[in-house]
Amino acid sequence: MTADASPAFEPHQLDEEEFLREVHSFSFWFEAVEGYLEGRPYGADPELADEPLDGDDRDRLITTLCNYCVGEVTALDASSGLVRLAPNHHSRIFLATQVADEARHVEVFLRRLDDLGVLDGEAEVRARANPRLEEFRRRVLEMVDRGDWEAAVFAQNVLLESMEDTVFRFHASIADPVTRQVLEGVIADERRHLGFGENDLGRRLARDPAGRERLATIRAELDPLVLGSFDGVYRDLGLSRADQPSLGRDYLAAVERLGLTT
Amino acid sequence: MAETDFLSQYSIQRWLEMCPQGYLDDTTYGHESGLTEPEDLLANDDLREASIALTVQLIAGERAALAASSGLVNAAPDHASKAFLATQTLDEARHVEIFTRRLIDLGVKEEDVDSTVNDLANPNLVKFAEVLLEKVGNGDFIAGVVGQNIVLEGMAFSVFELLQATSKDLNPKFAQTLAGTIADERRHVGFGENRIGSLIREHPERKADIERMQAEMSYHMLATFTDVFRGSGPTMDRERQAAAAEGRDLGSAEWHGTDVMAASTDDIEALLAGTVINEFKTRLGRIGIEYQDPKVPA
Repeated sequence: MTADASPAFEPHQLDEEEFLREVHSFSFWFEAVEGYLEGRPYGADPELADEPLDGDDRDRLITTLCNYCVGEVTALDASSGLVRLAPNHHSRIFLATQVADEARHVEVFLRRLDDLGVLDGEAEVRARANPRLEEFRRRVLEMVDRGDWEAAVFAQNVLLESMEDTVFRFHASIADPVTRQVLEGVIADERRHLGFGENDLGRRLARDPAGRERLATIRAELDPLVLGSFDGVYRDLGLSRADQPSLGRDYLAAVERLGLTT
Repeated sequence: MAETDFLSQYSIQRWLEMCPQGYLDDTTYGHESGLTEPEDLLANDDLREASIALTVQLIAGERAALAASSGLVNAAPDHASKAFLATQTLDEARHVEIFTRRLIDLGVKEEDVDSTVNDLANPNLVKFAEVLLEKVGNGDFIAGVVGQNIVLEGMAFSVFELLQATSKDLNPKFAQTLAGTIADERRHVGFGENRIGSLIREHPERKADIERMQAEMSYHMLATFTDVFRGSGPTMDRERQAAAAEGRDLGSAEWHGTDVMAASTDDIEALLAGTVINEFKTRLGRIGIEYQDPKVPA
């Protein structure tokens, strides 16, 4: 596979059409993921020693990973549903790469659950799913089902990806080595997905500034579910109130920085 | 092989190792870097236009496969099936990408790709896709996978094999592009056969509806073959006559016991249709579905 995804290559210097053709291609996707997945089957170096976890730590990590699976299955179902709604060839190809990424994320988290001794990962995910995340999932899939491209891309590629990026980064900073490496590969993918949402919606809003109001309304409906799910993250990661980071504030700031709703 | 063992062969990790890190390694748009469409094809308007028309049918088929495989992810009953369909979604997107690239290599401007596909896509192929996408749109996983992974992919597999046989010597770039897609289609057909067999056994009441869908899709497929061969026949005949007059040897290419470089278009059409239908019979039989001869749809 050959495409220029090397660190020195700067796709943003290309004109718009060339940029879209370059970054929304199978080759570009593969060159990008190959950089951080090579030698890491199921997201982690097989030689990396796994730290034994005590009962409580193990149980909390299982709940955390189960909820990561809820988020990733949401992204998988939503991105696959968005393929048919894509307005052009480049977006369709990009979303197909995202479908494979999201399926890989579910796969690596289920594999990690397997490492932790969970016998039926899918059943465990259903049993431990955070209700707020499930409600978020329901709302996003409704947007996809009614064919609302802008709302669904915003909810999935901006809000959900920002939430995951915030949580995964924090978790990677305190996780055991294997979980950290798995998370690093996922975070690298999420940045690409967030970039697509930001780019696509940014172009649309430049043509239709009134669209910001609609996105702000969607955000007002979904933010409470995202922020509520962070409480579950704190609990699942076993953090005392004093140790709790400001994930909610970080998430809100990350979405704000994109300038899509203001 | 137990079902869980079988499904583990279709994981994302396995796909990464087999496909992008395997047979697609060191390729650009599915072929070695630097290969181009043959100059005599690009210089001959008749041949170039016939190649554009053919490539459009491939794009139309792959677009349908992309819509179907992505549309089935949400309907899949377990993660392993979702994971496989996610890999298939990306495979089909890659096929759309490489055949679209071929259209551009054949001289179609990028901004004209969609209108060219809309203008030249065979109406029967469009109907073939509509029958399948109706099942997918209804979230019908069993019918969707049979229609997509047995009927559509089974047809694509044989068509690609035939095209590869005729391109091997004359157009190595196209032949290499096809080789990667054939490898993908083989995997897709394998999943369809293995995953759906157990679901059909659990839901025998679905057989009649699926057989109706297969008959309808088969009708449109055969009608597409007739249209395409009727359209390309005169060009093929003229090219053969010109080659004979100039003393050029077009070579030979054996496919299922026939030299398709020498056979008439009628014979090639009959060979292709017979091969695809035999494959359908075999593959459908493996999942407990009886092949139905196509009837004119109501």
